[in-house]
Amino acid sequence: MAQSATIPSSQAGATAVPTEQYNYEIIKKFAIMAMVWGVLGMGVGTYIASQLAFPFLNFDIAEITFGRFRPVHTTLVIFGFGGNALFATSYYIVQRTCQARLYGDGLATFTFWGWNLSVGLGVITYMMGFTQGREYAEFVWPIDILITVTWVAYFWVYLQTLLRRSQPHIYVANWFYMSFILATAILHIFNNLQVPVSLFSLESYSLFSGVQDAMTQWWYGHNAVGFFLTAAFLGMMYYFVPKQAGRPIYSYRLSIIHFWALVFLYMWVGAHHLHWTALPDWVSTLAATFSILLLLPSWGGMINGIMTLSGAWDKLRTDPIMLFLITALSFYGMSTFEGPMMSLKSVNALSHYTDWTVGHVHSGALGWVAMITFGSFYHLFPRLWNTKLYSLRLVYVHFFLATIGIVLYITAMWVAGIGQGLMLRAFDEYGNLAYTFVESVVFLHRPYVVRAIGGGLFLLGILIMAYNIFMTITTARREAARVEAKIGAKMARASS
Amino acid sequence: MSKPSENKQGAVQTTGHAWDGDLQEYNNPLPRWWLWGFYATVVFAVVYWFLYPAWPIGGTFTKGFATVTYEVNGEERTTHWNTRALLMRDMQTSPAAVRQREFLEVIAEATYDDILRDPDKISFVRSYAHGVFGDFCATCHQAGGAGIIGLYPTLADDDWLWGGTVERIEESIREGRLGYMPPFRETFDAEQLRAVSAYVLDIAGYDGGDEDEIRRGEAIFNGTDGGCFQCHDTGGTGRISQGAPNLTNNIWQIVDVAGAASYEARLALVQSVVRNGVQREMPAFGERLSPTEIKVLAAYVHQLGGGQ
Repeated sequence: MAQSATIPSSQAGATAVPTEQYNYEIIKKFAIMAMVWGVLGMGVGTYIASQLAFPFLNFDIAEITFGRFRPVHTTLVIFGFGGNALFATSYYIVQRTCQARLYGDGLATFTFWGWNLSVGLGVITYMMGFTQGREYAEFVWPIDILITVTWVAYFWVYLQTLLRRSQPHIYVANWFYMSFILATAILHIFNNLQVPVSLFSLESYSLFSGVQDAMTQWWYGHNAVGFFLTAAFLGMMYYFVPKQAGRPIYSYRLSIIHFWALVFLYMWVGAHHLHWTALPDWVSTLAATFSILLLLPSWGGMINGIMTLSGAWDKLRTDPIMLFLITALSFYGMSTFEGPMMSLKSVNALSHYTDWTVGHVHSGALGWVAMITFGSFYHLFPRLWNTKLYSLRLVYVHFFLATIGIVLYITAMWVAGIGQGLMLRAFDEYGNLAYTFVESVVFLHRPYVVRAIGGGLFLLGILIMAYNIFMTITTARREAARVEAKIGAKMARASS
Repeated sequence: MSKPSENKQGAVQTTGHAWDGDLQEYNNPLPRWWLWGFYATVVFAVVYWFLYPAWPIGGTFTKGFATVTYEVNGEERTTHWNTRALLMRDMQTSPAAVRQREFLEVIAEATYDDILRDPDKISFVRSYAHGVFGDFCATCHQAGGAGIIGLYPTLADDDWLWGGTVERIEESIREGRLGYMPPFRETFDAEQLRAVSAYVLDIAGYDGGDEDEIRRGEAIFNGTDGGCFQCHDTGGTGRISQGAPNLTNNIWQIVDVAGAASYEARLALVQSVVRNGVQREMPAFGERLSPTEIKVLAAYVHQLGGGQ
């Protein structure tokens, strides 16, 4: 504290810092790639959702069947869209809140190429039929290694920037990003302990077997949700919500408590994906109870975000970006309520192996992750190019398309999941199972159509966003060129 | 402090830090409802831990106070709550399981005659087989045993490859069946192939064949040149010991002769079968299904339409 007191009030200088002080080039690269992978990933998602409703759409082409496209979709949206968005925003936030230029231009550029090469190679190998068969970790082992190297570089860049900060305190957003980077490293390494079949084979065997292997996978799987898709995006929220609202964060105390509760509790809950299996009962219990314990800490983030707007609710009427951010927080609150409920064994007995799970994931992925990213990006893009957003009206259009899309998606999956769950456990008057599995599949057709429509609306939304951002950048470039030409002309006149 | 009205700029203290110009933090206390909510989940978790297996200790774990009582060989046994015991108990005492078991016991005791004549039993059989047939059999034989020409025989008509008595059906399910007709492309020249196929169409009741050709085909079919009669029987009426179909009833399993447009098209279809032979397998379910389930399925298939 004594040290911090010796540094003169830094916030006064912060606004006057010219943008050249920061490395924006790397952020632009990541942000654009996030948009590219996002459009592709959501496109693939909508396509496979349509395949489930209308199976002929796979056209008997192995490369585009659901089995291969599914990991393509998840990899593109989680690691392509989400990952690049996190790189972009974390590099932006760490620089602005530390008031320090990003450490290591070259290393930062390496993280860009390493990450995006991994995503691209992953997608190609899945389509060729190579997969590790671990959900959200389908990358074959050479790509795993590339990811590891990239991630270590990311950690180093981030840590060194934090160490070079000219602010006495580390802003809360950075805690979340740092926990995300550390946890993801641990998760990635332990879940990918594989023995390659040979040096020149893409195939490999897991170091673990049986229920231990399943547990490792779901310890990874759920913490990928917890740290990659939650903690990190909370970091994003902690910067962009108060920035866009122009108001202070609601409660510093709450941020500390819910941060530590969140990172401590998440690590325990993965096994709730394996209720009613060969998993020992005590593991199931712990996973279920820690999931319940996780409910309020998750809501801590939501409260802190939403209450930040307290006293400025009128912004929701005038600022579509704020709409995105607040809606994202609402979906975050909703899915972090739904999750603990589904992790209870009795609820899970109905919900598991049905589309309810798929709906739950998407209320988090579309409602929280994508919406908070859209809101943050609408704030970020104009600032990176030092301009104004091309069209606020298109942001509104995007918002409503996305929200209606999500609602259609989630309700369709509730109907599908609960309906199928009830069908699979229904008995007739003789005590016999009332339905065959295939009858439950027939039932799914209509919800699947609605889901595909919902996904289509969401996709349309991001396409409109891509157009809006493309026009924003184009306009900014044209403006910059005009200003430069003017200055050039002036200089020429002055020198003649 | 926690009242929202006080959460106005200036009313609540910020932490005094500022980042990136205007990023600040209020230091509002934790919302009461949030804090109590969190405590409530803690209480919930602790209660849960007392009730169910929860914490590992060395090589074992805390068992919890909840118990499950079930039967093993007629003896009651009570253990700590666990999913295996829970399944045992449910299978022994849940209303649906009890009802189903009672019916299954009746079926297990009953003869096929009993089952097929008694409306109560046959309606249980239909209900039970709906699931078992739907999950195990309909994958190939289709819903209701409709079958697919060229792949899987229909079970809904009275034409049987391996016999349509309920005992023969049960044997087919339990032991599985290997259907085999050798390819004759090496045995017959083009003329013989055409002749024997013309004969097959003739006995199936199709006109339009050349009479001489049919007679030559008949000689091949029922003589040692072709030896077809060895499986299909003289005159082509089929033999269930071989799983060889009756060729005289115009029911076609492998190619859709009845649906073909012209005599030449029909002839081409039959020739393709004779040339290439047939190889089909129905897997044995004796190890996968219980004797009672097989009995139910046999009765179900028998009553689908064509039981003999």
